[in-house]
Amino acid sequence: MLTVCPYFHVHQPYRVKKYRVFDIGNDTEYFNDSSETDLNNRRIIEKVAEKSYRPTNKILKQLLDTHPEFRFNLSFSGTALDQFEAYAPDVLESFQELVATGRVEILADTYHHSLAFFYSVPEFKRQVQKHERRIKQLFGVKPRVFRNTELSYRNDLAKWCEDNGYLGIMAEGWDKYLGWRSPNYVYRPAGCSKIKVLLKNYKLSDDIAFRFGNKEWPDYPLSADTYASWIHAHHGDGQTVNLFMDYESFGEHQWEDTGIFEFLKVLPEMVMRHPDTSFKTATETVQAYDAAGEYDVPDILTWADTDRDLTAWTGNDIQRDAIAATYKMEEAVMKTRKRDIIENWRKLQTSDHFYYMCTKWSNDGDVHAYFSPYQSPYDAYIAFMNALSDLQLRVSHAVAQREQKELQKQESAVSEKAEQTPAQNHYPDNAHIPDETDTQEVSQPEHEQEAEESRWWNKLANKLPFFKSPV
Amino acid sequence: MRVLTFGWEFPPQKNGGLGVACYGLTRELLRDGVEVIFVLPKTQETAGDARFLFADDERLVKVLHTDVSIKPYMQGDSTVDVIVGYDSEGKPIIRSRTIIEEAHRFAHQAAIIAKTEEFDVIHAHDWTSYLAGVAAKIASGKPLILHVHATSFDQAAGNNVDPSIFKIEKEAFAMADKVVTVSEYTKNIVVNKHESPAEKVEVVYNGCDMEETTQLPPTLAELKRQGKKIVLYHGRISIQKGVDHFIRAARKVVDTDSDVIFIISGSGDMLTQIIEQVGAAGLSDNVKFAGALWDEERDQMYQSADLMVMPSVSEPFGLVPLEALQHGTASIVTKQSGVAEVLTHALKVDFWDVDEMANQILSGLRYPVVRQQMVNEGREQMKSMSWVTAAQKIKQLYRSLIQYVTT
Repeated sequence: MLTVCPYFHVHQPYRVKKYRVFDIGNDTEYFNDSSETDLNNRRIIEKVAEKSYRPTNKILKQLLDTHPEFRFNLSFSGTALDQFEAYAPDVLESFQELVATGRVEILADTYHHSLAFFYSVPEFKRQVQKHERRIKQLFGVKPRVFRNTELSYRNDLAKWCEDNGYLGIMAEGWDKYLGWRSPNYVYRPAGCSKIKVLLKNYKLSDDIAFRFGNKEWPDYPLSADTYASWIHAHHGDGQTVNLFMDYESFGEHQWEDTGIFEFLKVLPEMVMRHPDTSFKTATETVQAYDAAGEYDVPDILTWADTDRDLTAWTGNDIQRDAIAATYKMEEAVMKTRKRDIIENWRKLQTSDHFYYMCTKWSNDGDVHAYFSPYQSPYDAYIAFMNALSDLQLRVSHAVAQREQKELQKQESAVSEKAEQTPAQNHYPDNAHIPDETDTQEVSQPEHEQEAEESRWWNKLANKLPFFKSPV
Repeated sequence: MRVLTFGWEFPPQKNGGLGVACYGLTRELLRDGVEVIFVLPKTQETAGDARFLFADDERLVKVLHTDVSIKPYMQGDSTVDVIVGYDSEGKPIIRSRTIIEEAHRFAHQAAIIAKTEEFDVIHAHDWTSYLAGVAAKIASGKPLILHVHATSFDQAAGNNVDPSIFKIEKEAFAMADKVVTVSEYTKNIVVNKHESPAEKVEVVYNGCDMEETTQLPPTLAELKRQGKKIVLYHGRISIQKGVDHFIRAARKVVDTDSDVIFIISGSGDMLTQIIEQVGAAGLSDNVKFAGALWDEERDQMYQSADLMVMPSVSEPFGLVPLEALQHGTASIVTKQSGVAEVLTHALKVDFWDVDEMANQILSGLRYPVVRQQMVNEGREQMKSMSWVTAAQKIKQLYRSLIQYVTT
C-alpha cells in the first residue's frame, strides 16, 4: 500500500508600489500600482490567472470527474483569495468547484502569508483564525492540517498546532533532520504526543516544481509514465509520497510549452496504474498511518534554497531591519482598533516583501531576481520602508485620537459617577479580533463621509425610502 | 609577448580615470609576464615598472623639452600651448595647437617608434591615441587593439558630438583588429553609433584597487554637528556629468528636508552655469562648491559624506562610486553608466528622472541601514573587480590576435 499526497500552494502578495518619500503622509494606498510593470497587482493576477489558474483548474476538475480516487490538497493565502475575488472572480469559483467535490482538502495557513509565528505568536494566532473564517466563508470547510508560510517549521510550531487541535502539520523532509530515514513515512514532531508531521519528498516534488522544463536536466523531457515509475519505486520502503509545491508551478513557473499540462493530465492515471497505489488527502494520510518515529527540528526549517532556512527572508541587514520595524508596531497598531490600519499592517507582513530585499545571490543573479518585481533589493526596501513610515504616522495619529476619546469618555463617566470599564488595549490570545468587532469605526475617511452626505440625492433618499440615487 | 601601448596620461600625474586604468592594467600585465612598452606624448614622471618612451624625446623629435598641458577630455578644437623648441637664446618657442593637431603629431612619432621597436601587438588607449595606434599598425603590420574609455557621444552627452573626434573614432575602429570597451553600455554606443560590428567589440570592465584607507579627521565638522546630512558630487563639471540634473534633484530634496547639504567637488566648463542654476533655484544655503579636491582632501570628503551621487548622462565606466565605497560611503549612480553593470550594491536611477533621484537621496539619508549594507556588500563585491581579471582578458585578446595574424 502506497499513497500519494499532493499539495499545491496558492499565493499572491500585495506588492508595494514605488512609494516615495514624498508620498509619506499624503498617500495611504500602498498597493495600487497601475503601471505596466510587475508591481501592478491586478495585472499580475490577470496574467497568472490566464497562464496558470484557469487552465490548471480546468484540468484538475476533469481529473476529479474521471478518477473517483483522485484527491489532493490546496492551501491558499488570504491575500490571494482577496485578489481573486476582486480581479478574477471566476478563478475563485473554479476553486470552489474543486473543493465542492469533497476530495480536495484545504490546509490551514496564515491569512497574510506571514512569518508571524517567529515574531509574535498572538498576531500569528489572529491571522490563522482570520484565515479559518475566510475559508469557512468561501468553501464551507474547516482546515485540520496546518502548513506555515514557505513551509517554515520548528518544534514549537508543531506543539502550537497540537495545542490548537490540528491533526497534522507539514514540513520539509530534510536530510539534516531525517538522517538515514525516509521522508515517505508519517512522523511525530518532537515534544508532541498526538499531532503528526507530513514530510515533503523534495526530490520528487522538485522534479516537477523546479526541474521539469530544464533542458539541461538529464531526465528532460520527463514523461508522466517515468515519473510514476519513480513513485512506484517506493513500494515497500514507504507509506506516503508527499508532493508539495507551489500551485503556480503549473503554467507560471513551468510554462505551457514545457508540456506541464499534458503531464498533469495523465499523471493520476499513471500513478494508479500500479495496483495498490492511490491518492489521499492530508487528513486521510495522518489518520491512515502511525508515526514511524520522531522528527526533531529545533531550528527554523523551510522549503527554500539549498540552505532550507529563513536566510532568503531575513539574511541581510535591510531585511532584518524591515521585519523588525514591522513587528515593533504591533502594540500600537492593535491599539488603534482601526480596520484599515490593521489590514495594511498585515499586508506588509507578507513574506514576499522581505524576499524581494534578498541580496544572497545578487552577485550572480538567480531565482530571486526572477521572482522580484523590483529592479533591485534596495528599491524594494525603500518602497517598503516609505510605506511603513506612512503607516507609522497613521498609527500614531490614530492612537492619539483614541487616547483622547477614551480620556473624554473617562471624564464624562467620572462626572456621571457611572460604572466604568477599563480601556482595553491589550489583546490576549483568545480575544475577539478587533478589526472584526470594530469595523465600522473607520470604513471611510471623514471628509469622504461629508462629501457623501452633502450630495443632494442623499438628502432626498433619507426622506424618501423608495428613492433611488442616480449612481 | 611584447606589447606597444599608447596612452595619453599616466600616474602619478593628477588626472581622471584614464590614467588610473592604464596604470592598473599595465601593472597586472607586467605581473602576468607581458612586456609593456608604454608610449606617452610628453616626458613626465611615471609610476610602475613598464618601459616608458616619450614621444617628445630628443631622439625622436627635434625638441628638447615640451611643456604640453594636454587634457584628454578637451574638445577637438580646443587649443593647447606647446613648447616646440628653443631659440638661440634658450627661450622657449610656444605655439598654440589644437588637440587634434597634437594627436596627429603623436601619430607621426608613433610611426617612427613602431619602426624602431620590436613588439607583437599594439594597444592604444582613448581617442587621443587612436591615430598613434593606427599609424603604428601601418608602420609595423602588427595587430591593433583600441581601448575605448570614453566616446565623443559621452563627452557631448548625446548632443553636438564633435564631428572631427567622431571621424577619428569611427575610422580608427574600422582599422582596428579589436575594439575593447569598458562596459556593455559603451559597446552599445560603439556598435550603434560608430557602426562597428558587434563581434569585433569586447567588453573588459575596469578593475579597482582595494587600498587600505586611513581614517582621516572629518571635514565639515561644524555642519555635521548641526545635524546636517552631506550629499557629495565629485567629478568634472561638464554636460556629460549631469550636474544640472543633480541640482534639480537637490531642489526637490531641500523642499522636503532643508538639513541636507550638497557638496560639489570639481571644476569644468559648466561651472558658471551650475553656479547660476544654484542661485536661481534659491539653493545657495544648501549647495556648496568645494573646488576640485584631490588626494587627502578628496578622501576626507568621501569619508565625511553620507551619500555620493554620480548623476552622469553618459558614463562609460565611472570609478567614483568605487572610490567612495573604499571610504565607506554608498552611492547613487545613473543607469547610463558602466559601473551600474558591475556594482549591485548602489541605488540606480535614470539621469532624467529627477523625482526618483530625489527620492533615493532622501530615502538613503532616512534609512542608515540601507547605506551600511550597500557599503558592506559593495566592498565585498569590489574584491572581484580586480585589474587581475581585466588583465587576464586583455592578455587572452593579445594571444588570439597574435595567433590570427602571424603567418
